[in-house]
Amino acid sequence: MNLKTDASINVQTKPKVKNKKFKKKIDLFTDHLFIVPSLLFFLIFLFYPIVYNILISFKEMDVSNFMDGGTWAGFVNYKAILTEPLLYKSLLNSAIFTLSCIIVEFILGFSLALLFIQKFPGVNFMRGMILVVWMLPSVVVGTLYKWIMAGDSGVLNFLLEKMGIISEGILWVSSEKFAMFSVIVANIWHGTPFYMIILLGGLSTLPRELFEAARIDGANAWKSFLTITLPLMKPTIFVLIMLGLINSFKVFDLIYVMTSGGPLDATTVIPYYAYELSFLQFNFGQGGAVSGIMLFLVIILAIVYLREMRKEEIG
Amino acid sequence: MRITKRKKKIIFTTVGIVVTALMLFPVYWMFITSIKPLNEIYVDPPLFFPSDPTIQPYIDIFTSKNSMLHYMKNSFIIGSGSMLLTLALAAPAAYGLARKKLIGVVILMGILIATQMFPSIIMATPLYIIFLNIGLTDSFTGLIIANTTNLLPFAIILLRPFFLGLPKELEEAALMDGCNKFMSFWKVILPLTRTGLITVGTFTFLMAWNELLFALTLSNDNSMRPVTVGIYSYMGEYAAEWNNLMAASFVSSLPIIFAFIFLQKYIVNGLTTGTTKG
Repeated sequence: MNLKTDASINVQTKPKVKNKKFKKKIDLFTDHLFIVPSLLFFLIFLFYPIVYNILISFKEMDVSNFMDGGTWAGFVNYKAILTEPLLYKSLLNSAIFTLSCIIVEFILGFSLALLFIQKFPGVNFMRGMILVVWMLPSVVVGTLYKWIMAGDSGVLNFLLEKMGIISEGILWVSSEKFAMFSVIVANIWHGTPFYMIILLGGLSTLPRELFEAARIDGANAWKSFLTITLPLMKPTIFVLIMLGLINSFKVFDLIYVMTSGGPLDATTVIPYYAYELSFLQFNFGQGGAVSGIMLFLVIILAIVYLREMRKEEIG
Repeated sequence: MRITKRKKKIIFTTVGIVVTALMLFPVYWMFITSIKPLNEIYVDPPLFFPSDPTIQPYIDIFTSKNSMLHYMKNSFIIGSGSMLLTLALAAPAAYGLARKKLIGVVILMGILIATQMFPSIIMATPLYIIFLNIGLTDSFTGLIIANTTNLLPFAIILLRPFFLGLPKELEEAALMDGCNKFMSFWKVILPLTRTGLITVGTFTFLMAWNELLFALTLSNDNSMRPVTVGIYSYMGEYAAEWNNLMAASFVSSLPIIFAFIFLQKYIVNGLTTGTTKG
């Protein structure tokens, strides 16, 4: 507050020529002031906790001593975690979950985008309705799919039996064999509208003339999709795949609600594994170590993403 | 030529309707289950239209010991608190970061994008221990702060293009008229970015409404817990009473459905500008 009034007094009393240069400096200074509150918030509530988490991962810290800050233990937690088969299982589960989701959501989302970019009656309404799906809470999606895919009276089993695809009901969510498939299906339904809307945004910026020209040259729809649409959409696709990668990798709510990582750890993904260690076993040290590994993976991804983004901006 | 164009339109419309119906079938199933009496839930074949619709499941969840109303009130407090705190911090920051001459803009934006990628669980463990030490567990303040760590990077990234789009002359004119920077930001700039603020405000509210992990780990006390945790605890309470569970799910989805009906235009525009220019 003081600073503000000082500055304006100074500006008024200075002669005109000097005034301008000085004012610019003040300007630049006040511009910086605008980001100070956010910066402070980040330092205290984001940066500090992340550093703290890394510290925890080098400590022996459980329910008996975490209030006193735990005791230093070097690499003990990382050693314990890296020899634990469940870590590799959950890494593999995360990879399966993430890849399946991205591939299917991308294909479905692109098909939806190509359909809803057309002009026909009610198209805006339909887009909006589909987007509602994407904003539903994951907890609701999980509960809903647990019901739809229930083994006894789930509507999915009924429909599949009716169509003759299966002969008897499958325990989707509660069997080791199909649990991962179930959470993937639920996540794909939940995430596809996001792919659709981002790809729609990208498609709507493409110049129409190009497609006209291609048609005159005798290219069919498939060919112009491969030679015009895909290459021009590359930046959008890149951003989308990265966002999709991150979002699927982050999955927690759906797993927590539908399977709690089970049965027999069949759906334990990395974030759920960290949760289990920290908040069910209260082994904060090892939970911190798993978080540390996650942090490492995410930072690598972030660097790849940012480098590519900068290239796009320059090029 | 005209006929084929018309035919095309009819085909597209039909496919569009079928696809939308398929996509929305699970939502329909949620609603239809929520108005079935318990004895119609387990009949084989399942009823696609309830023969005896009832609002009993809704009465149950609102009069239960852990009433849905209680959870919704908590979600509303956490949602609006997170939204206000996020906007208060994000709007000036996005404005500042939209000024190109700012030192380190590229680095700061990079850090913001990167932090957006962190899974919440990385934050949950340290926040739990830190909050326990300073007495912020089991408090709305704690939950609002935790949510804001998630929302703030997202909000700044999404808001920045709205400030970049403003003509610089406007602000200069305000400064000429004797406003200082802060006054011109408050009186001139902010009103002009209303669209952006509404978009980001809606998003942050809904994202906080949907949040589960922080609510689960940072509040042990049922009096602070939001709908997401509520639904999960209903799963234990009601076990196989899917009509009650679906009623709770449906009620907690209502804010989203309303937001989309009233604010769809803002949301779609905001989202596409944010991600392509981010």
